[in-house]
Amino acid sequence: MKLCVRQICFLFAAILPVTRLLVYPATLTFWAKNDLLFSAALSFLLEGTAVASVLFAASRTQKTLFQLLEENFGTLAARAVYLLFALFFAFSAFLPILEQRGFVLQVFYENVPSFLSFLPFFLVSLFACTKGLRSIGRAADLALPVFVLCFGILFLMAVTEGDYTALLPLFSAGTDILRGGAFGLPWYAGGAYMLFFLGNFRYEKGAAGKIMLAYAAGAAAVLAFLAAFYAIFSDIALLQQNAVAHLSKYATAFTSLGRIDLFFVFALTLVLLFALCIPLQLSVHCICAAFSCKTTLPALAVNALLLVLTLLFNQSYLEIQTLITQKLWIVFAVFAVLLPYVSVFLRRKEKKMLPKGEKYERT
Amino acid sequence: MSARKIPLRLAVFGAALLLLLFFSNDFGLIDIQKTSIVTAVAIDAGEEGIDVTVQIAVPKSGSTAASNVTVKNAATMMDAIAELNLKTGWYPTLVHCRLILLGEEAAKDNVFDHIDYFLRSQFVEDTCLVALCRGRAEKALSAQSPVGDMTYAAIEKVLSSEAQQTGLVSVNILREFSKGYFGAGESSFLPLLTVREGAETGGSDAGSGDANAGGSGGAGSSGGKAVFEASETALFLRGKQVATLGAEETLAFNLADTDTDLAYGNVTVTERGEPVIYSLKMRIGKKLLKVRAEGEIPVLCFSIRARAQVADVNRAGSAHEVAQSSIVPESVLRAAEETFRARLSDAFSKAKESGCDLFGVCASLQRFYPKLWKKLGKEALALTKPVYDIQFDTMH
Repeated sequence: MKLCVRQICFLFAAILPVTRLLVYPATLTFWAKNDLLFSAALSFLLEGTAVASVLFAASRTQKTLFQLLEENFGTLAARAVYLLFALFFAFSAFLPILEQRGFVLQVFYENVPSFLSFLPFFLVSLFACTKGLRSIGRAADLALPVFVLCFGILFLMAVTEGDYTALLPLFSAGTDILRGGAFGLPWYAGGAYMLFFLGNFRYEKGAAGKIMLAYAAGAAAVLAFLAAFYAIFSDIALLQQNAVAHLSKYATAFTSLGRIDLFFVFALTLVLLFALCIPLQLSVHCICAAFSCKTTLPALAVNALLLVLTLLFNQSYLEIQTLITQKLWIVFAVFAVLLPYVSVFLRRKEKKMLPKGEKYERT
Repeated sequence: MSARKIPLRLAVFGAALLLLLFFSNDFGLIDIQKTSIVTAVAIDAGEEGIDVTVQIAVPKSGSTAASNVTVKNAATMMDAIAELNLKTGWYPTLVHCRLILLGEEAAKDNVFDHIDYFLRSQFVEDTCLVALCRGRAEKALSAQSPVGDMTYAAIEKVLSSEAQQTGLVSVNILREFSKGYFGAGESSFLPLLTVREGAETGGSDAGSGDANAGGSGGAGSSGGKAVFEASETALFLRGKQVATLGAEETLAFNLADTDTDLAYGNVTVTERGEPVIYSLKMRIGKKLLKVRAEGEIPVLCFSIRARAQVADVNRAGSAHEVAQSSIVPESVLRAAEETFRARLSDAFSKAKESGCDLFGVCASLQRFYPKLWKKLGKEALALTKPVYDIQFDTMH
């Protein structure tokens, strides 16, 4: 088994929440305004049920998605689905990479932002992609203590600075809450991740409860962050790109020491780095499964593709964000929400125990 | 994870973290000869467009001096910054900008025509102080301060959080000023900075259309130390200055609605037919501003509880009175309540008449009474009725 339940718990509690702390809060505010918590809760509900569906499937079989697809629809279909998911994961990594590029250049490099500063990310990603799913679990083990410490301190520094009545009146955004929930889906690919963990972790009794609890903890952290974010910025919240870098700078207790919050933001960037690698790693995993090949070439191809795309659209973050969130959110709804639900309905044929040396015959 | 590998992994993790920290600050490459560190920006209305003056920190051995540079008649802030770069060869770094000063004339139009640049670029921290100047902001920034070479530092002291806590100044930062402007009431406030005596002899008249670097110690200052005062408060509606609160109204506003928790104020009472002035030290125990609806009339309730002690009296007191400064006579307490109520009422009336939602009535209605807010809209402030519940008690 490549992963264990603990690592999946850490992934949902510590890694995925960090991806929702940069541009997501401002994007959500643009649509849902003071009702951003409802939009986020809606997205969490959709992603959470997708994760729960996959966990339900996992409780009934130890097979991987590929094996399930193979048994239900044949090898060709399984390969095709994996290729589609490979494309989806590569596509889903694009916006977060541009997002983090903007974050790193704007927040950390004050003077002359240079794109070269961000390029080493692709070296890290290439290395991670060659290591397969096992490295996702290891990254999660590292990420949890960093996240708990840094997010905890940043949140404590921010929580008292806001006016929480700014979140009132509830439901004033009306249908824009739904729009915010839908357009926020590109930040919620956890259901699709879980789908590919199927069969790659040993499902033990109570695993679903633990994972869902970890998921709820991560969701609660993000919701609390969003509440503090809107309480602090209210009517100018939509101007605050890279929210995590701005939220804690108002803590007056440390004013004389300068921006010490940036230490914790730097450390969270490390967790973000792990988070950015995951879709690329899964993309490589899908290609390898589809073509039954080793990871090196697909890892090179996927990273080269993303590098070229990032170079091409280096200055077009806003256009890409608008396209992906407002038009292509449906792709995320299908791959990260709908398809994980469908996994529950895949037939599970148990393998017959075959004598040693005899080849398994597909039925 | 085996126990033997844990230290190794921790070391690798630590190294990665340190590398991240190391590589996250421009590789230490800041060419001080080419980069100007802007500490303050002054914006004035020009003949065509705006005049922008920046105060630049010039590091010298053992100290830091200031140099002012002015760009006249720029169409936008961006133009002004670009022109600074073009004419001086300095690439301005605004991340250390701690102060934005607005000239009185500039505030007759929407100041967000220009200062929204700082919100767009995010090169300036939104914790940056913002103030309105009586007269031209450029002159204020050129005044030579007795506190130090950097004028911005002297002004920053006047607008410090300590000054705010004692109620003498209504300090505001870019974030809060912007929130007010973009909020339901479209209103906000700024401290009104006045340069006293001798200060206005200085100045860096850069000449029309030119960007000139001034000398050190306040550009072109020809002597005369300046004292800055910001006891008045300018009220803004839709980015334009619409009214001014005097010093006592500012104090009342601060005691009722800002972070002020300890303040000094004078109360006049009549004793034996003579007016006697008591200087009181006031500690605010509770302050609560609440908007409620009475039918379709918004009511703004000020609920304030304060404790006072005598700091000084303008007549000689007996030894007994001096020893018991923490006990304030009942008549003085009631007079203090009445004085505070009158000043607060003046501040509220001034804000209401000018249309400035200083006390956040519109925002409260929008949040707690959305239907009434929808019905009344911008008329809500004009219809608002104030209720004052102010009680002063003796400190001991």
